[in-house]
Amino acid sequence: MKTKSNGKDFCMFALPGMFCFFAVLVVPFVYGVYLTLTDWNGVAKVKNFIGLKNFAGVMKDTQFWTSLLLTFKYVIVVVLLVNIIAFAVAYLLTRGIKGQNFFRAGFFTPNLIGGIVLGYIWQFVFSRVFVNIGEATGWKLFEVSWLSDPGKAFAALVLVSVWQLSGYMILIYVAGFMGLNEDVMEAASIDGATGWIKMTKIVLPLMMSSITICLFLTLSRAFMVYDVNLSLTGGAPYGTTEMAAMHVYEKAFTSRQFGVGQAEALILFIVVAIISGTQVYFTKKQEVEA
Amino acid sequence: MKQTTIGGNKKKVANLLAMVGLIIIFIAYMFPFIMVVINSLKQKRDIIKSPFSWLYTIKGLSFDNFVKAFTQMDFLNAFKNSLIVTVSATVLVTLLAAMLAYYIVRHNNLVSKVTFALMVASMIIPFQAIMIPLVSIYGGTLNVLNHRITLIFMHTGFSMAMSVFMFHGFIKGSVPIALEEAAYIDGCTHAQTFFKIVLPLLKPIISTMVILNALSFWNDFLLPSLVLTDKELLTLPLSTYSFYGTYSADYGTIMAGLLLCVIPILILYLVLQKQIISGVVSGAVK
Amino acid sequence: MRKKVLTKVIASGLAATMMVTTMTGCTFGFASDPDDPNEVVEEEPIDTSVDTFEYDTALSGTNITLLNSKAEIQVALEAMGEIYEEKSGVHVEVMPVTDGDSPYTKVVSLYNSGNPPTLSILDTTDVIALAEEKAADLTDEPWTAEAEDYLTRVNDRVYSFPLCIEGRGLIYNKAVIDEALGEEFDPKSIQTLDDFKALLDRLVAAGIEKPISLAKEDWSLGAHHLQYVYETYDGTSEGAAETIEKIKDGSLDLDNYNRMTEFMDAFDVLKEYNVAKGDPLGADYDEMAIDLADGKTAFWFNGNWAWPNLQEAGAENDDEYGFLPYFMNNDKDDFANQQIQGSPSKQVMLDGQIASEQEQKAAKQFLNWIVYSEIGQQMIVKKANIIPPFKNNPYEPADPLSRDIYNRVQEGEAFNASAIVPNDHWSVLGAAMQKYLAGRSDREELVQSIKDYWAEQE
Repeated sequence: MKTKSNGKDFCMFALPGMFCFFAVLVVPFVYGVYLTLTDWNGVAKVKNFIGLKNFAGVMKDTQFWTSLLLTFKYVIVVVLLVNIIAFAVAYLLTRGIKGQNFFRAGFFTPNLIGGIVLGYIWQFVFSRVFVNIGEATGWKLFEVSWLSDPGKAFAALVLVSVWQLSGYMILIYVAGFMGLNEDVMEAASIDGATGWIKMTKIVLPLMMSSITICLFLTLSRAFMVYDVNLSLTGGAPYGTTEMAAMHVYEKAFTSRQFGVGQAEALILFIVVAIISGTQVYFTKKQEVEA
Repeated sequence: MKQTTIGGNKKKVANLLAMVGLIIIFIAYMFPFIMVVINSLKQKRDIIKSPFSWLYTIKGLSFDNFVKAFTQMDFLNAFKNSLIVTVSATVLVTLLAAMLAYYIVRHNNLVSKVTFALMVASMIIPFQAIMIPLVSIYGGTLNVLNHRITLIFMHTGFSMAMSVFMFHGFIKGSVPIALEEAAYIDGCTHAQTFFKIVLPLLKPIISTMVILNALSFWNDFLLPSLVLTDKELLTLPLSTYSFYGTYSADYGTIMAGLLLCVIPILILYLVLQKQIISGVVSGAVK
Repeated sequence: MRKKVLTKVIASGLAATMMVTTMTGCTFGFASDPDDPNEVVEEEPIDTSVDTFEYDTALSGTNITLLNSKAEIQVALEAMGEIYEEKSGVHVEVMPVTDGDSPYTKVVSLYNSGNPPTLSILDTTDVIALAEEKAADLTDEPWTAEAEDYLTRVNDRVYSFPLCIEGRGLIYNKAVIDEALGEEFDPKSIQTLDDFKALLDRLVAAGIEKPISLAKEDWSLGAHHLQYVYETYDGTSEGAAETIEKIKDGSLDLDNYNRMTEFMDAFDVLKEYNVAKGDPLGADYDEMAIDLADGKTAFWFNGNWAWPNLQEAGAENDDEYGFLPYFMNNDKDDFANQQIQGSPSKQVMLDGQIASEQEQKAAKQFLNWIVYSEIGQQMIVKKANIIPPFKNNPYEPADPLSRDIYNRVQEGEAFNASAIVPNDHWSVLGAAMQKYLAGRSDREELVQSIKDYWAEQE
């Protein structure tokens, strides 16, 4: 492009979008970081600078570290399941099966409902519908509510998250599969590549850019799970399913330690940034130019 | 093109298996929705005592829940508010993000690099971390809360990063620079080139981003609840608040209200879906 | 082509469904169905003919906002706001605390947005946290004289208006017990924990296998159950505060505190006869109301706020429901075995920081209107179904639970002790109680977590 009109280009193309982004996200975030260095409690008129005292408070908050560890467990399971299921379903949905558009619409529907409402619906399903089925059929699995046992409540949380997130990822994987070059695939088939070999040697490398995006999205969303956590289990039973984001919120508002909560949010951000940054770096390296 | 009989049969069997597998997963996916539809027609007592059954209800089925939800939500007004906010913010973010992404792809300078890196990083900021700073800046300092335009602006800002990220990938992969160069030779300005040549090429990703953004705006609860307090301005999700009591929830009305909120966006999705798919296919022939 | 058709069919089908629903909404929306349990029971009419309240005409045209954190009275408050506007010209905008937000979070974010509500209905702990920083001083308001025992003071000043008295205990369904025992049940005959146990055993023998419903919610366990430990010290708020201080500074050892042991004895009895004993943390709140109304159970530990749920489950205003005390031991003379706990629960705070003088005056007038005007008095009792703490209000609540609390307050059979605990008390110790309820911890661990909790407080 011609460089002389660069300034005008910038103002026209880049500035409006950048302005929205900076005004809504960056500025409040920086202000939020500043608040972690003060003793402000959310209501007081005065803010005193107290250095890193809030971060010392984070170190002492064992519940935060427990919830962070649990979040790690949750993220690993969710990311794996979501991507495997979404990849497989998207693969099946691009083979020219009858009614595949109908299926695609169907799989996306969980995304049509907001997170909090979704959690309530599933809570209803787990605590009422499943228990009801259990009573009628005598199935041990559904005899008691999943949400009253720490292990099963965690499983319920994973199940709902996978159910919700995979629809979104199916959409991206479908787009990826449809973008695969037919010629390459056909050539591969003629060369005798079938089944597993075709999948690992040809399809997977070509799908790497979709995989990068999906991994990044699932990672970040799983790390920040809040809505579903709040409305499905609310941390129950006895606080065993409280994830990091929910703990941060509780710390800031229920326990009224605003500064510590804000500092924990910052630490959560840094953790997610490091992990997803590493992921993007490594999967990007696998991508081939199609 | 004609396939051998054996190969054909094999393919048929594989397809059949795939179909069966899909249907099973599909039913599992739909299960909660089936529950919602069934129970939206039932009375609370039946919902709690026999959530699964449709036939054996004591009080029978009726549309009462829908009627109650419709009136209590002030549905038409809330629908209008949601529509204004969702449409404006979606148009705004789609356009601005496409332009910004285009700029970033075509200008490999420091500003582009820093902005893009910041945007990717910002996608992992927990909303809780900026909630209070956000309201204290926009309410306390600027005093612009309680206006639709503020909400539209914030929605735009919050979805900017994700949208730019998606547009960026698409433009980089599927918009050949040769076309633009040809346009410049024909004497087009940058603006003309973008709107006449580039934007039409972005159709598939625009469809995808429109549906994704519209969905998140339509359903968002937390941000509108911070920005809007005036009853006249409430959006659909905010208007269902009264169904959740302090001690227990009004299940039947919640489910009916939920269906009322979802149906419009479901229609949008079904209409746009055709575009998304065909767009992706044509875009694939690079 | 076929896919397109399919999509269109689905889309138009859904659109049609919506149209039908919409139309039903318009045409048949207001027909009432006599069998509909969701239908609100016909309300007592509000008599607006007499109104001797003096309105300050200078305030007409003022706009005030009221943040409501008591979802069940939202409709009633809106109605009250409307009538108040008709009479005084002051517009009251009632804002609900939306789902997923705590009242405190909402108030904090509203203060940060520079647009706080003129009046906010909050919990007592919230008021204490905000009082000196944000609230207007209400010490000299005339209504303070009418509710002397129910005021919350911060450094001897009153910063909040007590909205209602709420009481809790073991709700019984008399008809069920009568039928099971085959004789008239006299609630007064149960005076000790052993009496109560004997009654439960008789009910079990009569076929009610597990006669008690016990909520698993942390607010119920952590606040409504556990706080008996502090509140039964001597049945006063001062006593409760003293107990908490002693626990904090270590001069009261919970291991050897008799109220702690007695509380766990009482709780163990409830636990033993819990209808959801097999899966206590899977108990469903709405189902408990249905079970009690149907007679599957005879008792439900809860408060008078549970009435709307019972009503939905089929209970009616002239059914006989009432409260038994939370029996702590076998001493007939112990007040804890004779009295129900009943204390002010929600407080209205007036913003003194941002609201203009005019707005503050209009808001104060609204509070006075609730206490002194004939219309306000009627509406707060009949519409909002609240037990007002103000002695001058002549109206009696209509539902049996509130009536029982009301009568007991009148007759001195209720003790008013509000334990002021930190805001996360119910959630942190509610979790510890859940663990105990589920049988995943023992008494020792429960007591230890309470001690640990208090040790962490400054």
